Amino acid sequence: MTNDGTILQVKDVFRSYFESGKEFKVLEDISFEVHDRDFICIVGPSGCGKSTLLREIVGLDRPTQGEILFEGRPVRAENPQISMVFQSFALFPWLTVSQNVELGLEAHKVPEEERKPKAKKYIDAVGLAGFENAYPRELSGGMKQRVGIARALVMDPTLLCMDEPFSALDALTAQNLRDEILQLWANPDLPPSAVLMVTHSIDEAVYLADHIVAMSPRPGHIVKVETVDLPRPRNRKEPEFYGWVDEIYSLIV
Amino acid sequence: MAVPPRQAMPRPGVLTRTRLRAIALVVIVVAVIGSFLAPGAALQVGVLALYAAFSTTRMFFAFVLSLVFAIAYGTAAATNKHAGEVLIPILDILQSVPILAFFPPALLFFYYEFNQSAIGIEIAIVFLIFTSMAWNMAFGVYEALTTLPTDLREAASVFGVRDWLRFRRLFFPATIPKLIYNSMLSWTVGWFYLVASEVITSASANLTLTRPGLGSYISNAGNSGNVAGILLGIATLTSVVLLLDTFLWRPLSVWSERFRMEQTAGGPATHATAQYERLRWLPRFPRIRRELNRRLATVAHRWSRAASPLDRLYGSHPKAIRAVRWIDLSMFGVILVLVVVAGITGLIGVLTAPIPAPADVYASELPLAILSSLGRLALAYGASLAWTIPVAAWITHSPRASKYATPFLETVASIPATALFPLILAVSVGLVGVFGLEAELAAFLVALFAMQWYLLFNIVAGMRSIPGDMQEAAKVFGLKGWTYWRRVLLPSIMPSLLTGSITAWGAGWNALIVAEYISYGDRLYHVGAGVGYFISLTTYAGTGSGAPPGFAGQGQLLLLSVLSLVVVVLAMNKLLWRPIIKRASTRFRIEIQ
Repeated sequence: MTNDGTILQVKDVFRSYFESGKEFKVLEDISFEVHDRDFICIVGPSGCGKSTLLREIVGLDRPTQGEILFEGRPVRAENPQISMVFQSFALFPWLTVSQNVELGLEAHKVPEEERKPKAKKYIDAVGLAGFENAYPRELSGGMKQRVGIARALVMDPTLLCMDEPFSALDALTAQNLRDEILQLWANPDLPPSAVLMVTHSIDEAVYLADHIVAMSPRPGHIVKVETVDLPRPRNRKEPEFYGWVDEIYSLIV
Repeated sequence: MAVPPRQAMPRPGVLTRTRLRAIALVVIVVAVIGSFLAPGAALQVGVLALYAAFSTTRMFFAFVLSLVFAIAYGTAAATNKHAGEVLIPILDILQSVPILAFFPPALLFFYYEFNQSAIGIEIAIVFLIFTSMAWNMAFGVYEALTTLPTDLREAASVFGVRDWLRFRRLFFPATIPKLIYNSMLSWTVGWFYLVASEVITSASANLTLTRPGLGSYISNAGNSGNVAGILLGIATLTSVVLLLDTFLWRPLSVWSERFRMEQTAGGPATHATAQYERLRWLPRFPRIRRELNRRLATVAHRWSRAASPLDRLYGSHPKAIRAVRWIDLSMFGVILVLVVVAGITGLIGVLTAPIPAPADVYASELPLAILSSLGRLALAYGASLAWTIPVAAWITHSPRASKYATPFLETVASIPATALFPLILAVSVGLVGVFGLEAELAAFLVALFAMQWYLLFNIVAGMRSIPGDMQEAAKVFGLKGWTYWRRVLLPSIMPSLLTGSITAWGAGWNALIVAEYISYGDRLYHVGAGVGYFISLTTYAGTGSGAPPGFAGQGQLLLLSVLSLVVVVLAMNKLLWRPIIKRASTRFRIEIQ
């Protein structure tokens, strides 16, 4: 972390794809910052490049132009301090819950004696105690995503990136998981320091985020960065909540 | 939250029990017939078991070679873009050439490279089986890795899973279902070539070439007109194939389901899983597995401890990794080139050896020979389609039919067409021998037997893959009879029918190479004109005269005929099948979701 609490800086990022000599602009002039204790949601309609942006932030893809700095240095995919939760869960079907959670630790050569208790701690934290030896196919969608979250948290990430983590789940399960993510984030003893989440649901963004990055497509660019100052826990039925949803809606459509 | 209950499955074990009964029935019937027709046959049981062991060992050698090749080649092609651009077209060509056409030259090559010893022949046989198994498995690995969900790759990348760990945890497990499925196909094809190669080596009229095995046993029985021997050989072969299938491949494919990617959450279970689930009764040997795991764990542990300093070294030098990869790739390339060059020079050496007096084979007969074979295959293809489409529809639409007909058809299909050849010839002689058409009918029937199963099982798979929703919709809107066939069944089987067709034609060409020329009961039977006959003539012309085969035959003619055949097959694939498949796959593909 830099002295002013800045974790991530996205600076003038452009991303284009080239196909048969033609240029397709996906991202245009994206800049924003993530600070310690931030919960940021990137919202936008499909095709606005928000998932591409997230992939550049975790280092899976490189910008055509501009730079992305994590704690002052260019991002790398292998950096254990940035972790990711996937929309489709991306669990390895042939590994047990525990093996899935330990995967990142194994890759970073953490010895087995240390791995096991650490994985256990986070499996318990996401409420999956007793399912350590189950295979992903034996779990419901919500439980699978809990494994995905445990797998990300076990790396002790400073920044947790989430790519539409709840959109493959039914409404009730999604709401439970949203509250749990908020609890984990609010717990100072547990990682992460900051959360960066991509979603297409404005409602979800207003419910979770304290900063909303609103994006618009063709090419993907930031319309506005809003700071949501609603007190927590937030209530969807309050008029202020609606006010925010309407405001963001008018920005991105 | 409770673990969701497993999908309700059909009664387990019914089909497998039927299969086992089928095996037992075949064995008993043949044993009875055998002991009646030839009391001496009882003595041959021991010999047959030994021969079966020889043949199976050859298969295993070839399979292990294929497995190593397929994993290395497929992984290289799928994970390195530049390598893939070269490797995949090569594989495509290798897969579509008629392998058997290369066998006579390869046999001669290995035979003389190894000073006319048995090892040369054994290597040639294993090599032939390898060439029939490896390509399809390598494609399987390649396909599994290229269809690997991007999310899993990205997850591996985000969590720092690289190199050996990535291969062990991601790439290798991801290939298992496809690799095992394709291995089963490869074994089926492999038996065909095993028998073919043993038949060819024993039909060479040069007895030093014969190696003990089930194929040569059947072929020798055919040569001496011993019908009981033929039946006994075929029954033994069928039992071995079915036993391996029941006790090795089926359990393995049940196990491989663990490594299958899940469909979208809550999607309906596919027919495939339902089919595999019925084998869950098979013991999975938990104790052996645990023991193996324990032993392997220590080895793996030691390996990873030895490898970790290296990993750390590499990890700190990303450029070094890239350099190592390039060195790796270029070394592979150099070895490939060396092997190819050595092979070609060796072949040229064999083929350009001095040619004594030309036998009565002329290059001008080649076009007619190829056309005749093409006609034979077209007939066999038409006949296959005519019976397989209705039968496939019957099997898929009637559970009872599926229950009883499937094990029967699978059993019959497991007999390699090449093994049936002497029997088919005996039947043909009896049927149309008076008209002198026995060789023509036999060649047609062998081609039919080589082609029809690929069509049948592909069509069944195509019909089974019609989504339940679509069938219900067809019912709701009252589609029946011809309309149902034209609007639902035929379009939905198109893609798999075409895939089946390519494979069937490939098998047909290979079958004709052995089927157009054979000695049976002290007589030589051959068709009027055909490319298989042509190749056999050029290979073995003059073998009786004491000169080594091939040298007396016409090397250049052999090469010319093999290459012409390759050109015809490749042209058919590229100009006929591929364009049709391309159109069909866009028009008739059923989009999931």
